[in-house]
Amino acid sequence: MDVISAGIAQAFRLILSGDQEIVGIIGLSLFVSFSSVILSTCLGMPVGILLGTHSFRGKGVVLRIIYTFMSLPPVIAGLTVFLILMRRGPLGYLQLNYTPTAMIIAQICLVTPIIIGLIYNLVREKAPVVNRLGITLGAGRLEIMFLMIREMRIGLTAAVVSGFGRAISEVGAVMIVGGNIKGKTRVMTTYITELKSMGDYSRAIAIGIVLLIIAFVINAILYNFQEREGK
Amino acid sequence: MELEIRKLVRDYGTKRVLDLESVTIEKGTRTAIIGPNGAGKSTLLNIVSRIDVATEGEVVYESEDPRLVTQVFQQPYMLRTSVERNIQYPLRLRNWPEEGMKKRSNELMEDLGLLDLRHQKAWKLSGGETQKVALARALSFQPSLLLLDEPTANIDPATTAEIEEMLLKINREEGTTILFVTHNLAQARRVCNRLLFLDKGKLVESGDCQEILQNPKEEKTRRFIAGELLI
Ligand SMILES: Nc1ncnc2c1ncn2[C@@H]1O[C@H](COP(=O)(O)OP(=O)(O)O)[C@@H](O)[C@H]1O
Ligand SMILES: [Mg+2]
Repeated sequence: MDVISAGIAQAFRLILSGDQEIVGIIGLSLFVSFSSVILSTCLGMPVGILLGTHSFRGKGVVLRIIYTFMSLPPVIAGLTVFLILMRRGPLGYLQLNYTPTAMIIAQICLVTPIIIGLIYNLVREKAPVVNRLGITLGAGRLEIMFLMIREMRIGLTAAVVSGFGRAISEVGAVMIVGGNIKGKTRVMTTYITELKSMGDYSRAIAIGIVLLIIAFVINAILYNFQEREGK
Repeated sequence: MELEIRKLVRDYGTKRVLDLESVTIEKGTRTAIIGPNGAGKSTLLNIVSRIDVATEGEVVYESEDPRLVTQVFQQPYMLRTSVERNIQYPLRLRNWPEEGMKKRSNELMEDLGLLDLRHQKAWKLSGGETQKVALARALSFQPSLLLLDEPTANIDPATTAEIEEMLLKINREEGTTILFVTHNLAQARRVCNRLLFLDKGKLVESGDCQEILQNPKEEKTRRFIAGELLI
């Protein structure tokens, strides 16, 4: 019990004192996850919208694959990206393994399917209804497009926020491709793993608190969206 | 003449769900469209309001302006904004000045007893309130043709009466032509002066509403009305 309470007290001291190493690690975590979410959004949003508004042969298979990838275990994403980027792998000449770039790529593999899946569901449900309303109220094509974006803004943002939640909290993918190298690829989740094995519990708790706060903010945003949108 | 159909066909695959010849809707009339489920009533309305397209034939409108036709659905979609803004949305599309917009929406809200709800979130209203907002929104821009697809199917009698009264008023004061799909024959009798009876995509009988309901010429119409009256 003493270890835990002392750890928590020490953790707050570390956070409040702005410990250089901890600040750097939090910064890298946020950088990697923000980057992967932004890129995943650029990839996933158009795909989700197209899937939600068009039908074609084989769509059912595509959707099943996407749903599967929505719950892809992070270690598998990490391993796959690692194998592709390793020196003897197909993209080995890029020498990206053990860099933040590789971590961003691995997280894109995790986050993009989530964003596609959530946006697909949203668009499939709302686009036909909003389209038909727009037409009957005299909106032109461009006006209907604006209307769609406005009507779905909360759902679209929620998809992106969910993707960020996934990215910031996973450990498997960034561990495998990043390697948890101090000052280079160490992020909050991999650092916690390391601190635990070293027995440095107060630092582990400090990082854990920060992660928890981030998770709380993310869920507060999502909850707030639900409150606003729900019937 | 509000609109004229010389031939209108709608196929889904090999199934012909609408197959009409020669229907004319005169300006300022209130026409009930009745018929069993699957008769093609909604299909007809949707083609007239341009959210569906005919396989063959076309609708000829008196006015060239497509923005003078509007439709109210059984389950209307409410924009994620206030009641007032929902009603004003078509006017914003048409660049009405703020003053005119306020005046028009206030009149409509007053007629339909919506003034107290003006600042409420429109998507959280009850079914009856939603239907009244949808009607006010459709009427805001003074359409020349109003299409209604079973608007009072799940609505309480008091609200239904308000809606019926509003339809009669708008027809009387603004000359709005009304095409009204309903399963309620008493309602057709209260609101309409013309009637189309559809069955299996075909026009079985058309003419004066009261006359047909009292004295149908076609056997099919007679059986339908008799069956309905038993309920
Ligand atoms: N999207 C669609 N795909 C296939 N069949 C449809 C579609 N929409 C309507 N139908 C068919 O067209 C027929 C007429 O439907 P509808 O116009 O909705 O009838 P009503 O409104 O008179 O009950 C029905 O048999 C229905 O099953
Ligand atoms: Mg119908």
